[in-house]
Amino acid sequence: MLGLIIKRILLAIPVLWIVASITFMLVRIVPGGPFEGDKALPPEIVANLKAKYHLDKPVHEQYLLYMERLVHGDLGLSYKYIGRTVNDILADAFPVSLQLGGAGLLLAICIGVPLGTIAAVRRGSGADFAAMFLSTAGISVPSFVIGALLIFTFGIWLKILPVALWESPRHMILPALTLAVSPAAYLARLTRASVLEILEKDWVRTARSKGLSTDKTVVKHVLRNALVPIATVLGPLTAILVTGSFVVEFMYAIPGMGRFFITAVGNRDYDLIMGTTLVFAVLLIVSNTIVDIVYVILDPRMQVT
Amino acid sequence: MNSKRKYFHRSLIAVLALFAAFSLTSCNVAKHGALPGTLRINIGTEPPGLDWEIETDSTSFDVVSNLMTGLTQYTPELTCAPGCAKSWDVLDGGRRYVFHIRDDIYWTDGKKLTAKDFEYAWKRLLNPASGAQYAYFLYPIVNAFEYNSKKITDPNLVGIKALDDYTFEVKLTKPAAYFIYLTAFCPCCPSRQDVIEKWGKRWTDPEHIVTNGPFMLKHWQHEYKIELEANPKYFEGRPKLDKISMFMVPEQATAFALYENDELDFVDNRSFSTPDVERCKDSPEFHNVPLLRNNYIGFNVTKPPFTDARVRRAVSKAIDRNVFPLILRRKERPTSSWIPKPLVGYSPTTGEQFDPEGARKLLAEAGFPDGKGFPPITMLYPNRDDVKTVVEELQDQMQKNLGISIGLQNQEWKVYLQTLHRDPPPMFRANWGADYPDPETFANLFTSFNGNNTTEWKDKKYDALVEQAGTEQNPEKRRKLYEEADHYLCNDQCVIAPTYLATQNAMVKPWVHGLKFNALDIQFYKEVSIDP
Repeated sequence: MLGLIIKRILLAIPVLWIVASITFMLVRIVPGGPFEGDKALPPEIVANLKAKYHLDKPVHEQYLLYMERLVHGDLGLSYKYIGRTVNDILADAFPVSLQLGGAGLLLAICIGVPLGTIAAVRRGSGADFAAMFLSTAGISVPSFVIGALLIFTFGIWLKILPVALWESPRHMILPALTLAVSPAAYLARLTRASVLEILEKDWVRTARSKGLSTDKTVVKHVLRNALVPIATVLGPLTAILVTGSFVVEFMYAIPGMGRFFITAVGNRDYDLIMGTTLVFAVLLIVSNTIVDIVYVILDPRMQVT
Repeated sequence: MNSKRKYFHRSLIAVLALFAAFSLTSCNVAKHGALPGTLRINIGTEPPGLDWEIETDSTSFDVVSNLMTGLTQYTPELTCAPGCAKSWDVLDGGRRYVFHIRDDIYWTDGKKLTAKDFEYAWKRLLNPASGAQYAYFLYPIVNAFEYNSKKITDPNLVGIKALDDYTFEVKLTKPAAYFIYLTAFCPCCPSRQDVIEKWGKRWTDPEHIVTNGPFMLKHWQHEYKIELEANPKYFEGRPKLDKISMFMVPEQATAFALYENDELDFVDNRSFSTPDVERCKDSPEFHNVPLLRNNYIGFNVTKPPFTDARVRRAVSKAIDRNVFPLILRRKERPTSSWIPKPLVGYSPTTGEQFDPEGARKLLAEAGFPDGKGFPPITMLYPNRDDVKTVVEELQDQMQKNLGISIGLQNQEWKVYLQTLHRDPPPMFRANWGADYPDPETFANLFTSFNGNNTTEWKDKKYDALVEQAGTEQNPEKRRKLYEEADHYLCNDQCVIAPTYLATQNAMVKPWVHGLKFNALDIQFYKEVSIDP
């Protein structure tokens, strides 16, 4: 297990270096620069600005400077939010996204896995039909429609939950639910398929014929084996959810980091684009490593080293 | 705006508007929900910063305008009233200004404000190391350009000086009638050398910042909320409000839902989608104010067929500007002149008036009878819904009124700006917002030395007219000069075809008193009170 973790950390270094290098090049290829505004600046002012952010240096020097800072954990300066470092911005925004994404993920698992299991166990019944209808709807309807529906129903019409903002735990309910619907639906479909496959296995029939109740068979044996494919998707899903959702954060005015994936590109805020990309890459590596560990726990036959 | 974000934005507005249409036959009128002493507003996005010498965007200025007072300050009618300066002398034919600063103004940390705070602030704005974008506003000052562009390194050579603690002197290279407006501008507010040097980049954090205006920065939760608190020692007396909560709700539909739920007291364009404007335009809470923000069609005069002024005039004459408020639905004000109402030099007869027949005649004279033989032209515009509506309408009008077909090309905002500044296309749609309430901010744009003039038009006569108007001290002569310049720009040469002035649309709860709007779209809250 320890070997696996060490190996993953060592592998992560070249992966992050490649991600950083490709992103560094790509952001500079995109036309338009950070100081392009609707009011063009005199060349003297642009020269002062470029000097301030080292953008007057040749690209290879900028790259070396960036890499040197990156090695020291310094993600650079934002060109848009003057005086704030990318580290500051992400340190403020990431905990919010983590909180919201964590709640969303938990909700998605708590809704999706039981829904899929029930649908599989009662295959062909009304419950199966209802569960699959709900999950198809959850996947098909985009989150801004679900969010608008929730805001209208609970915020404007019933007035039992806040419309938006990030003031108290109550403010988390609607955005977490909006965030959870699509992954919950996906998990439900995946769980159903996976459980159905396991239910066909000979050893399930053996367990049942030996007198084990349906509930016990499903919960203790079937589900455990069916969880492997679910764990596989949970890795990237966790990274996606905890780095924030642009739509949900915009809609509910939540100060998370999801918005920066879009706005930083629009603003050509080079270091902030790099910062968000690297954080996402790190989280993806971490969650995939955890998934690999979970594989071993779920199925000891899987010896990942 | 990114296309994904735009798609989401449009869809969200559509969905919420649909719900609103089903649920409400008219706009909700608030009856309760005021928070005594607190004004809750939406500023839309995170201000990029609060360092007033460095910032350039309107969101930052919305906050700074309520934290700071400069030498002068704007009245709701946009004249310059005394601020930190109780009076000023204009000397040497407009080349020298001497400001007499009040001796009863204190910073929020208890220190007295002096002329040195202005000298430091203005020199910091010009210091090339600051990288301040608005440094060029001070270029009319002696040696300011030279210092900012590193041609000289000694800041003491710049024509800015604190003669004593309460006298501040500014020397200009030539008279500039608009100069006084710059003294009310946020980047020209005073600042404290000791505080900035002590805290560095963190000096604008709530625990470090010192200000001199009606409110103090209490709390700043990035990307979410800024809270201001009344400054009990403000030199004009404590403001009536105790607190202002400035939320950063980026999505219009959400912000408007918060307003309708009485969780915001005041919303403007940032929170007000067109379907909501339509729904609420008859509400007693609705306000509509024309802004000093003019939209125009520009021609690149170096690219055929727009090298011929007759073609440019034909296009401008073929535009029915009265259509814009009908299609944009925010009560836009059609205009054919570049200098907008109510600025000095504005004339309702300036600019080409709608005359399809006259337009066709001009086009025929230029060699394109009924549009025959007109080369294929593409008009460039930034990727935004309202702009798309405008250019599609123009495309239709050109086909109908002139028989010419114009292609449309949209580009993402920053790409569009780069294209415009590097290789302007024959025809493009652009706009310009006033930095100060003087015709200079508009007229100067099309002089040959202005970096924002993307028409490639360089005309000595126009340059001379604008130069003369800028330095003229006699108001009547000045008005005539600007009128002449504007007529030359929009009629004789027709380098641009102005289309309409943008408007501010706002909703204000009945318990909010004393909120006044102005054409510069700067919001001041020191006179505002909440009376539930």
